[in-house]
Amino acid sequence: MSNKIVSKIKNFISGVEYVHRDQAVSHTLWEERELENIFTLLLMGSFSGIPAPPAFISAELIPLLTHELKIFNNRAENSFDTLAEMTGVLGID
Amino acid sequence: MTTLIVVVGIVVYITLYLTYGKKLEKEFVKADDNIKTPAVRFDDGVDYIPSKAPVLFGHHFASIAGAAPIIGPVLAMAWGWVPALLWVWFGNIFIGAVHDYLSLMASVRYDGKSIQFVASDLITKRTGRLFYWLVFFLLILVIAAFGAVVNGMFVGTPEIPTAYIMKIAAALILGVLIYRVKMNFTLATIIGIILLGLSIWGGSMLPIVASKGTWYIIIFFYIIIASAIPVNVLLQPRDYLNSWLLYLGLIVGAIAAVFSFQGFTAPAFTSFAPIVSGGKATPFWPAIVLIIACGSLSGFHSLVASGTTSKQLEKESDGLKIGYGSMLTEGFLSTLVVVSVAGFGLELMVGKGMDITTSNWGTNYTSSMMGSYPKAAMFTGSYAAMVASTWLKFIPTKIVQIIAGMWVASFAMTTLDTTNRLGRYTFAEILSPLKDKNEGVYNFFTNRWIASLVPAVIGIYLAWSGNFTILWPSFGTANQLIASIALLTGVSWITKRQKTKGTFALIPAYLLWITVTAAIIWFSAVVLPGTIMSNPVTGITVLVIEVIMLIMNIIFIIDFLKHKDDPLDA
Repeated sequence: MSNKIVSKIKNFISGVEYVHRDQAVSHTLWEERELENIFTLLLMGSFSGIPAPPAFISAELIPLLTHELKIFNNRAENSFDTLAEMTGVLGID
Repeated sequence: MTTLIVVVGIVVYITLYLTYGKKLEKEFVKADDNIKTPAVRFDDGVDYIPSKAPVLFGHHFASIAGAAPIIGPVLAMAWGWVPALLWVWFGNIFIGAVHDYLSLMASVRYDGKSIQFVASDLITKRTGRLFYWLVFFLLILVIAAFGAVVNGMFVGTPEIPTAYIMKIAAALILGVLIYRVKMNFTLATIIGIILLGLSIWGGSMLPIVASKGTWYIIIFFYIIIASAIPVNVLLQPRDYLNSWLLYLGLIVGAIAAVFSFQGFTAPAFTSFAPIVSGGKATPFWPAIVLIIACGSLSGFHSLVASGTTSKQLEKESDGLKIGYGSMLTEGFLSTLVVVSVAGFGLELMVGKGMDITTSNWGTNYTSSMMGSYPKAAMFTGSYAAMVASTWLKFIPTKIVQIIAGMWVASFAMTTLDTTNRLGRYTFAEILSPLKDKNEGVYNFFTNRWIASLVPAVIGIYLAWSGNFTILWPSFGTANQLIASIALLTGVSWITKRQKTKGTFALIPAYLLWITVTAAIIWFSAVVLPGTIMSNPVTGITVLVIEVIMLIMNIIFIIDFLKHKDDPLDA
């Protein structure tokens, strides 16, 4: 019983600690994400009509971007729907 | 009485969470853990991340809790503590929390899309577009209302600006320690909290006295600069320090309210229409929705819930704790505000030499706060007196007052510059049809600095020239209008997608729409003419915004009623 209570308290404290860590980096991560979007757009820009860098550089980098491509696809789909996300990130109220 | 109300509040919230909330979850939302949430389906470790319920609760609550759930209930005390408390509880449990929960869950079932997107799909595309305009107006009015709050606090309690300026320095140092020096996070946090403590102490030692105009100019430049610099320099570390202030303030306040055992000295009820907005008799219905916003319901929450929270919900069954539970917690914060003002406000105002008694409370309460004793100071003073009446009295009252003041000022200032950031974006979106027609004009107005200036100039001008009792309800109209649209969107989702009758949500949704519409009409027809006479530019600007919003509101309800029984494509 007492072990259960101690572990619940531990879980709660670690939850609080996690939230606080995240509070300290969430906006920075958001801004970093926007910079990554620009970087990905530079590499994958030919899809949207932006001139691509030399083919050999793209070819070399593409395998490293499998995960990013998935995200890129999601973001392209959500790119017109960012008002609510910005409100959430900035925490206006 | 303070203790009794807080305990009753906790019991009411827990009971209704377990009954009404659970009923909503089972019968209308039909939360099902077998359905994978977008956070699980699209888990990419960046945008979509499944988060544990307590963690997501912390995030969501920190995003929705600010200065508004404090200021609104302080003003609503003009009706007496019973109406203020009843609206906080009733609005919170049956409208605000339902609104937040439905927005969250509708978004979850829409792959994490925003409530704006859901409205476009379920009602009309036009409804989705209305959101941008409403949000833009709301942002301008937020700058005006919160600018006035901050200014009142800086002028009224000169220790707070010093503490705030020192806190900005502390945030800049913390930012360097965490992101540049890459210091151990716990150590940097300890240093940050020590610096925060020092800024509070420094504020009590070195008050800065300046005029209202001087502070408005400083606030204006501050929000332009703060909204344009990279987030990791100021916004991020400052918000991190704010979250400590929020939890510290809530915990100390809850302990003090439970142990203060103080009788209420404020009247339980003054009259149906005391003097609140613009020096006019203000009827409880419909005007209460314009006065108490976030403590009972807020349209911004639908955007937060459907913007980031829905992309992190791990299980559908967590939605009730986060969407409904966070809003109830915010209502509890407003309950603490009502309790502290009801228990200690009268003594405090009499102590300041104001002409106020229980019998003239309805006529003199609001005007007293608009004079030498600003509304936020009413909360900070009552809060400090409440803490001093318990075993926590070993903390000096002045320090508690500065902590409470910093709590309100920090959140209000954060709101100002983050609002300006969002205003810049919304303004650019609104102007996007110009892009093809006149690229030069579009490029000029969407320039980072110009787009920052537009909401800041209008907002600060309104704050500087206007009366707070006009600006606060104006902010309330825009906020509650968005809440009304979001709630009706939630109802559409329940009836169209969930195939249930949705009476539980439909009645509060209609009630809210009718109340908000009546409130806008009352505000525009009764209060604003007086403002136009005394202050034409401010009065006309606010009136134009109100009329446009009213027209949009009517367009919206026509669209809603026209399309509510339309079959869905898929």
